Amino acid sequence: MKKRRNLVILALIFVLGLYFGYNYMYQDHRDINTEEAFKSIYATELVAIFKANDSADELNKTIEVSGTITEIGANFVTLDNAVQCSFDAVVSGISINDKVTIKGRCIGYDDLFEIVKFDQSNLIK
Amino acid sequence: MKKFILTVLCFVSISLTLSAQQFFSTKTGTINFEASVPSFEEVKAKNENVSAILKEDGTFASLALMKGFRFKVALMEEHFNENYAESSKFPKTTFRGKIKDFDLSQVSEVEQTFTVSGTVNMHGTDKDIEALVMIKKDGSVLMLTTSFVLKPSDFNIEIPKVVSSKIAEEINVLTTYRLKLII
Repeated sequence: MKKRRNLVILALIFVLGLYFGYNYMYQDHRDINTEEAFKSIYATELVAIFKANDSADELNKTIEVSGTITEIGANFVTLDNAVQCSFDAVVSGISINDKVTIKGRCIGYDDLFEIVKFDQSNLIK
Repeated sequence: MKKFILTVLCFVSISLTLSAQQFFSTKTGTINFEASVPSFEEVKAKNENVSAILKEDGTFASLALMKGFRFKVALMEEHFNENYAESSKFPKTTFRGKIKDFDLSQVSEVEQTFTVSGTVNMHGTDKDIEALVMIKKDGSVLMLTTSFVLKPSDFNIEIPKVVSSKIAEEINVLTTYRLKLII
């Protein structure tokens, strides 16, 4: 009887181990849209931070960036020629010179074009 | 007066260089890489925010932000950033080089093969490479495609023994750029 109980406990531990192991291995990606922003900042201020230090604290953080749209691409917009925000989906209803706030993940500073890049962006307003 | 002449000289030299060189560029080029080993989880990532500039004389520069590589498995992305690419310390990978015998007037709608050689800087380490590059015109856009192989060991990236059987020693890289004329 005791032996059987031990077996059941062992099996339970095994199943739990599998469950947690699987969840660890295949955990979800970050959801930038629902993550709270690390900070809110103007596009021109953000680019100045990265010009001084290209591995600044803002790297890989979810950030809300504000500015005026200076370029619109297939699935990105550029704010004040300083921050390029890429979207996973096509955005509509925006035009050049609009003042907007965008939330996205800061992936770093591009010194070829002297811009900061965001991916997984969402238009907030 | 001296200042005036200097200013004029400056403007003349700037306008001369502008007219002499045409630039093509993109901020949304793509890099795919794959280091999968058969029968293990695929090791594959994509970055769709790669910058590149090509000058008329064949000078080519490209920059990829390491945080911009996205994997299917979130944990793999985390390990790539934290353990291998160390992307907080080395946030970008660059390539600087030249396309040999590049002649813009020869580029047509039919794909042509050129050779590009230059230096990749990744993980703070330089490595000279040479690769074939396919170039064709698509309307006013230059389509540039190249693929090559990189080895983590060339860039001082150590793959621990525990996982080395699941990650290929040679990493296949495929890059595509749609370069637009600027000015």
